[in-house]
Amino acid sequence: MDIRNRVNLHRRLAVLQTVAWGLLLVLVVAYGWIQLVKRSAMRDAALSQAVKNRTTPAPRGIIYDRNGYKLVVNHNALHLVIQNEDLPSNAHQITAVAQVLGMDPAWLNRRIQASRQAAGNRMVVLKDNLDEAGLAEAEMLRARFPFLSIQAAPRRVYLGNDLAGHVMGYVGEVSPALMAKEPGRYQIGEIIGVSGFEASHNEQLKGLDGQRRILVDNLGREVALFGLQEPVAGHNAYLTIDAGLQEVMKEAFGEENGAGVVIDLRDGGILAMYSSPSFDPNTFLNRLSQADVDNFYRNPARPLLNRVTQGLYPPGSTFKLLVALAALDKGIITPDTQFTCPGHKVFYGRDFRCDATHGTMNLTQAIAHSCNVYFWELGARLDVDDIYAAAKRYGLVEPTGIDLPHEATSRVPSREWKARTAKTKEQQKWYAGETISVAIGQGQNGLTPIALARFYAMLATKGKLLTPHLFYGTRNESNGQLDLLQPAPLRQAPLDPATWAVLDEAMFQVVKVGTAKASNIPGFDMCGKTGTSQVRALGANREASRSQEKKFRDNALFAGYAPRQNPQIAFVVVAENAGFGASSAAPVAKKLCEYWFLQRPTNPRKPPAEYGVVLQRPGTQPPSSQPTPSTSQEAQP
Amino acid sequence: MKERLRALDMGLLIPMMLLVFMGTLTIYSAGRGMAVQSDIWLKQTFWNLMGFTLMACVAGVAPQRLFRRSSLFYILGLLTLVAVLVVGKKLGAGAGARRWIGIGKLTFQPSELMKWVTLLFVAHRLGTQPAEHLQTSDLLGAMALVFFPMLLVFKQPDLGMAISFLPILVLIPLIRGLKKRWIALGLVGVCLFGVFAWKKLLKPYQKERVMNFLRPDADLQGKNYQVNQSRIAIGAGGLTGQGFTAGSQTQLNFLPVKTTDFVFAAWAEERGFIGVLMALGLFAAVLNRILSIARQARTQSEAYFCAGAAAIFLLHIFVNVGMVAGVLPNKGIVLPFFSAGGSSTLSYFLGLGVVMGVQYRNRMK
Repeated sequence: MDIRNRVNLHRRLAVLQTVAWGLLLVLVVAYGWIQLVKRSAMRDAALSQAVKNRTTPAPRGIIYDRNGYKLVVNHNALHLVIQNEDLPSNAHQITAVAQVLGMDPAWLNRRIQASRQAAGNRMVVLKDNLDEAGLAEAEMLRARFPFLSIQAAPRRVYLGNDLAGHVMGYVGEVSPALMAKEPGRYQIGEIIGVSGFEASHNEQLKGLDGQRRILVDNLGREVALFGLQEPVAGHNAYLTIDAGLQEVMKEAFGEENGAGVVIDLRDGGILAMYSSPSFDPNTFLNRLSQADVDNFYRNPARPLLNRVTQGLYPPGSTFKLLVALAALDKGIITPDTQFTCPGHKVFYGRDFRCDATHGTMNLTQAIAHSCNVYFWELGARLDVDDIYAAAKRYGLVEPTGIDLPHEATSRVPSREWKARTAKTKEQQKWYAGETISVAIGQGQNGLTPIALARFYAMLATKGKLLTPHLFYGTRNESNGQLDLLQPAPLRQAPLDPATWAVLDEAMFQVVKVGTAKASNIPGFDMCGKTGTSQVRALGANREASRSQEKKFRDNALFAGYAPRQNPQIAFVVVAENAGFGASSAAPVAKKLCEYWFLQRPTNPRKPPAEYGVVLQRPGTQPPSSQPTPSTSQEAQP
Repeated sequence: MKERLRALDMGLLIPMMLLVFMGTLTIYSAGRGMAVQSDIWLKQTFWNLMGFTLMACVAGVAPQRLFRRSSLFYILGLLTLVAVLVVGKKLGAGAGARRWIGIGKLTFQPSELMKWVTLLFVAHRLGTQPAEHLQTSDLLGAMALVFFPMLLVFKQPDLGMAISFLPILVLIPLIRGLKKRWIALGLVGVCLFGVFAWKKLLKPYQKERVMNFLRPDADLQGKNYQVNQSRIAIGAGGLTGQGFTAGSQTQLNFLPVKTTDFVFAAWAEERGFIGVLMALGLFAAVLNRILSIARQARTQSEAYFCAGAAAIFLLHIFVNVGMVAGVLPNKGIVLPFFSAGGSSTLSYFLGLGVVMGVQYRNRMK
C-alpha cells in the first residue's frame, strides 16, 4: 500500500469513525430522552398494564322458604368479560368482538363508553355462564383480543323454576333508565334484583363486592396478589312461603290462568302466592331467545304480571261482604232485614236478572246463596260513596304494603273518582244505576287479590288489618336460629263483634249449604264467599256467557278463611275465564285447605333433595347435624 | 491452540466479552419466565463458546489465505442461498419466509455467513490493485457482487438481513472519497431505489412496518404494540434500572421477542440509562478497535475488510438499538453479542476472528 493511498484511507477511516461516534451519540440522546425525561410516564404505563384492580363479585344471599328449604342459591359460573381497566378504545376491535359473539356492535360500543365514564370498577359481561365449549371458545378469543378476561362470579339458580317466579323475581344488570333515575345509587353493570323479592329486598340480599389488586402478565394471567379485600356475601333471607303449599297451589291451577294467595293470620305472612301463567326466573339470567321474548312481552296472558299484587279484577260477589258492612254500618238494614228475590227485578228502568229465584231471604241467606236481588236492593238504598267509605274503613282501597315492588292499588269507585277520571262532563256524573252494579262487585270495581285477601283476613280476625309480607326473617349466625321479622304494626278496623258474627255465619253457610257446598270438606269448617265477575258486559244475557269463547268467559273467585274456629289462614283464588266461581275457584281453595290442615301436619310435602333442608324452626333445638352457616352458603367464590 | 489464543486481540476481546456477558445475563433474565425457552441462556452460552472457538481458529489463519479462496467461498455461498430459496425451512410464524437450512436437528441461516464472505470477496477484489488504478467499472462490479446475494436474501424474504449487506458498500467512498457529485448521485439513487422498492419490492407487511414507524402513536395495541411496549420498558428503567430479573415489562412478557430482537430493551429496563451507556460505550470501544486495526493493516484488502466489518457492526448496533427505542423502523435486525441465536452469534465471532487475524499478522511482521 503506497503512502498516498494510506493517507487517503486513514482520512476516510477517520470520517467513518466520526460517523460511528455520531450515530452512537444519537442513540445516547434517544435513550436519555426516554429514560430520563419520559421516565415517569413510561413507568406509569408499565404499572397500569401490569397492576390491575379486579372486582370479586359477592354472592347474593340465599333465599329459603319458611321451613329452611332452599329456593334460590348461587353457583359459581365463568363469564367472558372485559375488565374495567382493560376497556378497549379501538372501534374496529370492539366491532370485531361484537360480531364474533353475535352482539350488536353499537350496543357494545355504547356500553364500553358508559363503563369508561362510570365510577366504580365493574366489568362488562359479554357472555355469561360459559359451558365447556363456551370456555374453549372464550380462551381462543382471548388470544385474539387480549382485553378479554374470564371471570368467575356467582350466578343465581332458582331451584323451584316456575314454582314461585313472581315471588322470587329475578336479577339482572341495572338498567340505564334506573341509573338515571337514582344517580349515584348503582354502579354500571351492577347485578340487582329486577323484580319480585329480589328487587324489594335487593339491599339486604346483595353482598359487598371484594377487590383484588394483582399483577398480571401480558396475557392477563394473574402472577401475584398485592391486596385482597374479600367479598362479603349478602344476607340470607327466609320467606314466609311454604314450599309445599305453594306447590299444591301451582298444581291446582295447572294450565289455567289466575291468581291465588294464602295469608297467615298470625302475622300477615304469605304462605303461598301464585300467579298463573308463572315464569321461570332462570330464563332471565341468559340472553332471552326470540321465543322467550314473544312469550314474555307479546303474550296476551302476560306471564310477567304478578296477578296477585298487580292484577285488578272485578271482585264479583266476593264484594258483597263489603256492601253488607256498608249497609249494616249505615243502619239501612239489620241482619234480619228481608228482601224478596223474584229472579229478576227492575231498577232505574232496567231489568236485572238474578242467578236464581231465591224468594224471601235475610242477609245470611242472601250471602250464602249469593242473591243479587238482595244486594241490588242495598245498592238502591246506598250511595256509592257509602260503599267507598266502607272500603276505605276496612282497608280495601289502600295498598296492602306487601314487600313486593309495584303493587297496584285497588279501586272502588266513588263520585270523586268518577269526576276525576272520566273524560267528558256527561261521563263525570255518577248515576244511581251504576251503584246497582257496584253493589254486586261488578262495574268499576277493580281489586287486587292481595287486597281482597287482606279484607278477608280482616273479617277472619275480627278487624285486624294485617300487612301481608314475604320476608320471614334471617338466620342468627351465632346460634343458628331464625331471627323473625317483627310483624308490622296493624290497624284495627271498626268491625262490630255482632256484625262480625253475622258475616262469619253467612260465610260458613256459603260452604255448608250455599254456593260453594261442593267444596265443603266434611268435618272441617271453613268460611268463604264465591264470586263470578264478568269480563265483558253481557247484560241480561249472562247465561250465554258460559258457552262463550274462553277469553270472554267470566272470572271465578273464591275468598275466605279457615278454620272457622280460631282461623289460621285467609285465602283468595281467582280463576280467569273459568266461569262460575263455585265450580272452579272454590275447589282450588279446598285443595289448599286440605293440604294445609289435613295433610301437612302429618305428612308434609318434601321439595326435591337438591333444595337442601335446614329445617330450623324458631324455638327448636338445632339438630346435631346442623350445617354451619358458612357451609350452607353455596358457591362462595 | 496456544498460538491460536495468542492471535486473539485483547483490545477487541475484552469489550466484546463484556458485551457477551451482559447479553447472556439479559437473556437469562428475560428467558426466566418463558414456558418453552427458559434455558435459552444455556443454549446461548453454548453458541458463545462455539463462536469463541471459531473466532480463535479463524484468527490464527493468515487473512491472505482466506482472500485467496474468497471467490470459491462466494460462489458456494451463492449456491447455498439459491438452495435456501428452493428447499429452505420456514421457521416461526413470521411471514412464511424461507431463511433457514436444516442439517439434522440443527438449522442454520446461510445469509449470516454470506455477509462476511461477500465482504471478504469484495475487499479482496478491490484491494489487489492500487486505489487510483481502479476503474469505475471495477467499482460497479463490486456493487453488483454485493447486490446479487443481497437480492437473493431479500427474496427469502428477509429485509433486515438484506439491509445488513449494505454496509459493505462503504468501501466505495473509502476508496474514492466522498465527492459532492457522488453524494448527490447516491441520494438520487437511494430515492429512486426507495420509490422502486416501495412500488415493486416491498411486501405489504414490510410497508406496514414503515408506515407504523411514521405514525408511532396510532394503533398501540395492534401493529405498534411491540415498539410501544419496548419504549415503555426502556423508559421504566430510568437512570439506574429496575434491577436484575426485576423489570416488569420483561418479566411479565409485555416486552415482545425479548431474547432476540428486543433484548436491548430488557437490558435497558433492568439496568437503566447507566447500563445503556455502558453497553454503547463498549460497542464504541469495539468499533474503535476494529477501525484502528484497519488503519494498521498491511494490505489494502485487509484494511477494506476491517472497515467493512466496522460498518456492518455499526449498522447492526444502530439499527437494532434505534429500532428498540422507536427511533428507527422495526426491521428485524438482531444486536451483536446480545441477541440470542446460533447463526448470528457464530457469524459475528467469525467476522471478528478475521479482523483479529489481520491484527495478529500485523503484530507478527
